[in-house]
Amino acid sequence: MKVFVRIVIFSIVLSLCYWGFSNYGIPQVIPEPPPVEEQISGSMTMDQYIALGGKIFNGKGTCTLCHNPVGGRAPLLDTGGKDGPPVGARAADRIKDPGYKGKAKTAEEYIHESEVDPSAFVVAGYGKPGTNDTVSPMPATNKGSIGLSEAEIGAVISYLQKSAGVQVTVKLPTGAAPVAAAPADAEPQSAKTPEEAINKHGCPTCHKIPGIEEGGDIGPDQKGLASRAGKRVKGLSAREYIMQSIVSPDAYTVKGFEPGTMPADLGETMTVKELEMIIKYLMEKTG
Amino acid sequence: MKKLIQAVILILVFYLILKVGIPALGSFLHHGTWPVVPTALMRIYMFFVVAGVLLYLTFNEESAKELGKPIKEIYGSPEKGGLRMIVIAIIALFGGYVTYQNVKPSFEAPIELRSIHPAPPSSVEMWGKTYNLMTLTNPFRADKANYEKNAKEGGIVFFKNCFYCHGDKLDGKGHYYSGVSPLPANFVDVGTIAQLQESFLFWRIGTGGPGLPKEGAPWRSAMPIWQHFLSEEEIWKVILFLYDYTGHSPRTF
Amino acid sequence: MNSLRKSWVNRFSFLFLILFVFTLIIPMGYSASISLKEAFATEAPASAGGEHAKGEEGKKVEGEKSQYKPASKLKVEDYPIVKGFNSRIAVWIVAQLHLFFGAFVLAVPIFVLVIEGVGLATKDERYDHMAHEFIKVSMTAFSITASLGGLLAFMFVSFYPDFFKYMAGIFGKTMIIYAILFFGESFCLYVYYYGWDRLNKGFSKWVHLSVGLMLNVFGMTLMVLSNTWASFMMAPSGIDDSGIFLGNIWAAIRGPLWNPINLHRFIANIAFGGSVVGAYAAFKFLSAKTDEEKAHYDWMGYTANFIAIFGFLPLPFAGYWLMKEVYSYSQQMGITAMGGAFAWLFIIQAVLIGSLFLGANYYLWCGMGRIKGSERYTPAIKYLVIVIVGCFLVWFTPHTLIMTSKEVTQVGGTHHPVLGSLGVMSAKNTAVNMLIVSTFLSFMLYRRSNKIATASWTSTGNALQVALFTAAAINIVTLGVYGYFIPANIRIGLSIPQVMTTLTVIIVSSIIDAFMYKGAKSTGPIEWGKMAQRSQYALFLLAISFTWLMGLMGYVRSALRQHWHVYTVLRDNSVDAFTPTLGYAATIITISVYIFIALVIFAFWIANFSTKKQKVVEASH
Repeated sequence: MKVFVRIVIFSIVLSLCYWGFSNYGIPQVIPEPPPVEEQISGSMTMDQYIALGGKIFNGKGTCTLCHNPVGGRAPLLDTGGKDGPPVGARAADRIKDPGYKGKAKTAEEYIHESEVDPSAFVVAGYGKPGTNDTVSPMPATNKGSIGLSEAEIGAVISYLQKSAGVQVTVKLPTGAAPVAAAPADAEPQSAKTPEEAINKHGCPTCHKIPGIEEGGDIGPDQKGLASRAGKRVKGLSAREYIMQSIVSPDAYTVKGFEPGTMPADLGETMTVKELEMIIKYLMEKTG
Repeated sequence: MKKLIQAVILILVFYLILKVGIPALGSFLHHGTWPVVPTALMRIYMFFVVAGVLLYLTFNEESAKELGKPIKEIYGSPEKGGLRMIVIAIIALFGGYVTYQNVKPSFEAPIELRSIHPAPPSSVEMWGKTYNLMTLTNPFRADKANYEKNAKEGGIVFFKNCFYCHGDKLDGKGHYYSGVSPLPANFVDVGTIAQLQESFLFWRIGTGGPGLPKEGAPWRSAMPIWQHFLSEEEIWKVILFLYDYTGHSPRTF
Repeated sequence: MNSLRKSWVNRFSFLFLILFVFTLIIPMGYSASISLKEAFATEAPASAGGEHAKGEEGKKVEGEKSQYKPASKLKVEDYPIVKGFNSRIAVWIVAQLHLFFGAFVLAVPIFVLVIEGVGLATKDERYDHMAHEFIKVSMTAFSITASLGGLLAFMFVSFYPDFFKYMAGIFGKTMIIYAILFFGESFCLYVYYYGWDRLNKGFSKWVHLSVGLMLNVFGMTLMVLSNTWASFMMAPSGIDDSGIFLGNIWAAIRGPLWNPINLHRFIANIAFGGSVVGAYAAFKFLSAKTDEEKAHYDWMGYTANFIAIFGFLPLPFAGYWLMKEVYSYSQQMGITAMGGAFAWLFIIQAVLIGSLFLGANYYLWCGMGRIKGSERYTPAIKYLVIVIVGCFLVWFTPHTLIMTSKEVTQVGGTHHPVLGSLGVMSAKNTAVNMLIVSTFLSFMLYRRSNKIATASWTSTGNALQVALFTAAAINIVTLGVYGYFIPANIRIGLSIPQVMTTLTVIIVSSIIDAFMYKGAKSTGPIEWGKMAQRSQYALFLLAISFTWLMGLMGYVRSALRQHWHVYTVLRDNSVDAFTPTLGYAATIITISVYIFIALVIFAFWIANFSTKKQKVVEASH
């Protein structure tokens, strides 16, 4: 019995030593909690959408595990490198590549395709070993453990385009996204009518806008905007030009006006609905 | 008794190797520091050193008996009552001392797993512009004709702004050297700027302590956000100066 | 009195048998009811038509696909909660215990069969007795394993019903095979154990050995089959992206991690089983009254320790293979394992394995005391101690040091100029290879203790071995140091020549020894039983450390799935989906180890009854 007691004590003390070392001998790192699925709501601004894309790119999307400058496992995306400029900029050239067999017609479609069907086009040298660059080792980002939604993939594309410095062509997700699930108090309230939205953001302080009483002349008169908007900047449709002018006003400044006058944070304060309404309103009323 | 003394001497020798030998070696490799073995690690090292010594002295029957003999005598023989009391008192006092050391209030900052050269982000935003740190190079490095002039101008920037902490010899021992923690970087040392790319320095100077990523424990460093006080050109020139003065060359790969 | 006790024991084990059969049948019936109806509906015509052609199979797969549902997206409410009862901890502990016992009862028949075979070949009755005693010890453990397995399945059904439904939907059919195998194994085990004395002579001994072989075949198949479920949860295969089973059960079984896990568990089971039996022998040795008993259990402990070390030495290499496959399955999973929160887990692992090495070596050194002539080798031990402890210290020096701010100031940064270079892979690989080589050297010295080589080329042979060990040590260390001067991608490749060096030393010097000591002069027999009591604690240390280590590594294997029941397919959305800290995990592991020890003591206590019975029978003769 004496032997038995001794052995039991020995065993208990030894296990306690291991337990103690695990608890007090090493730092207690608290692992990251399971990722929460990002809520994409209809009332999101473009900047928020792009920022969300960045968050997904660096976090939940796990893109940077391979798309980083250290391992050389995959081409760099949000920055330039030995594979050329950032992907947002080089995508347009990719679809012209003679080896390209995918369905994408535009740069945006190309990036989208690369995310959901990585093997559609494999950059030379990054294929699975032994497949002669026909099969990509990358998982489809809309499936499996990554499982991005369509809206999230759009966010990533917008982020990649933004970081390449090219025009963001992705459309904001509309109200169909799970708006209802989003907590109401955290979201800004959207204006109900375009007039309300225009007044809310103080546009008439500087601009004359058809259909709105009173208007300043610090900024260009918006009369006839719809007809000239498409010709202002090469490559931008009227719609795109108006959106750019609201979200990043200093991208193009109309002759005779001072750059930096118009507030640059409209992209943050304006909701998607409002932006949509204002653009639609301007396209219709200023014709 | 002989074996017990042998055990104590062996443990002491290994203790000294860890306590003095490793710092001495480290000091030889890294002048001006005394890289002690951290207490947390030292405890585990010593635990296994003691275990190793005891295992060595007890695997053989006679040796084990001899090692145990003085201990048995002290606790077992009635005539050694006085000695027994002394030994028990020493053990109790030692226990008390260790407990006291552990629970006494201290002003020691909590331990942080701080990484001194954290991985830089791929791009950084300064002065409203985005810089790609992977491809960024020092524009003045290529300008061979005005190298002397630019480096000298960088020196002026250094002595106007940086030398209070980083020192006039660039050895990290400026006037306020002892007042900040972590210590100002010693640029002369081979372990700092000599191991880094110029873009890394650009990022570190431009965003300062608050701009460190999470593993670098942001706000723990007293380094200001220099983009608020210096221009892009001034930062590049001061980087040129740092390498020029210390004789190091920046890493380019 | 004795007959009374005997019948009580019999009744007791009968009760146990019924208990585990029931605990096994209830959940199995449940799962079968889910899948059987559907399975039979499509299976019946297929089996009626005999083996169907491959073209048909493709069609069948298409047809079957529609009946399998995708993995459901679970919500917190989908997990039944019993107040004051943490489902995850309960399942964790029961699963761990089931694995402990499973490993034990699968391992014991393997080496029992080998030892019985050795006994038959050498005609030494002692081997046969020892094998018999080993299997006797594992009999109760077998019942406990089955009961725990039933309890585990019951818990899955009650606490994780959707998870269980999903798994049963895919593996339901294999669960029936599992049941058949289980009864096959039980049958073989009972025949093997109870027929030991009856099937003892001539041809019937061969029958007995064959039953033992069948027992192992059933056991191994059982293990390999249940490994499927674990490896499927980690790296699912045979399903599409939304988790719909494609209908080919073999594709689901043969996942990318299946074989690495099979091998790793097989080797680890042997080491684990050996160490537990060693603890049993140590206990019997310590409480032995007669010299005869002492000699017997000393020898038994020695053999068990030998088995444990034999299994232990190749284990790191099997672990490397598993880790490599994890990386190639999912880089994300690999990085989660080796970096981040689990990086410190491998420091705990290093401490445990270091203790195992120290304990095993100490046992060998103590064992030299019972051999006359060992004095010639004892002076070498102090160098071995220094090398082993030194390598061990290098091995667990972490890459990121924990320092107070004062120490940071003294060091001049968080990078330590000396210890920093010990925290990297080059140093660790060097240390572990040196540890293995030194342990092997300890073992060689032990083997030589009572022998004097008489071969004419002895001095040449010795010189050759010294040269071999020196060259190996220099090679391993040089490769390790060289690793600091080359880029990381080439450095990884250096571990292969290091391991090859270690293996070469072990194999070549074993061969040299075998020839050199053929017909060697003996300095005296090994005096079994003349062993210090404290050496037996080394055997306990081995058993406890192995058990704890198994709990730890089982935890990390499971935790790699993070917040997934079935990785990438079935997400864990219960409140316990978070990954706990290592301290928390250590607490659960320690509790599991304690329960395991208690149950093992219980199993050994039961086994003791029949020993007493035997004694009485022998005395009456």
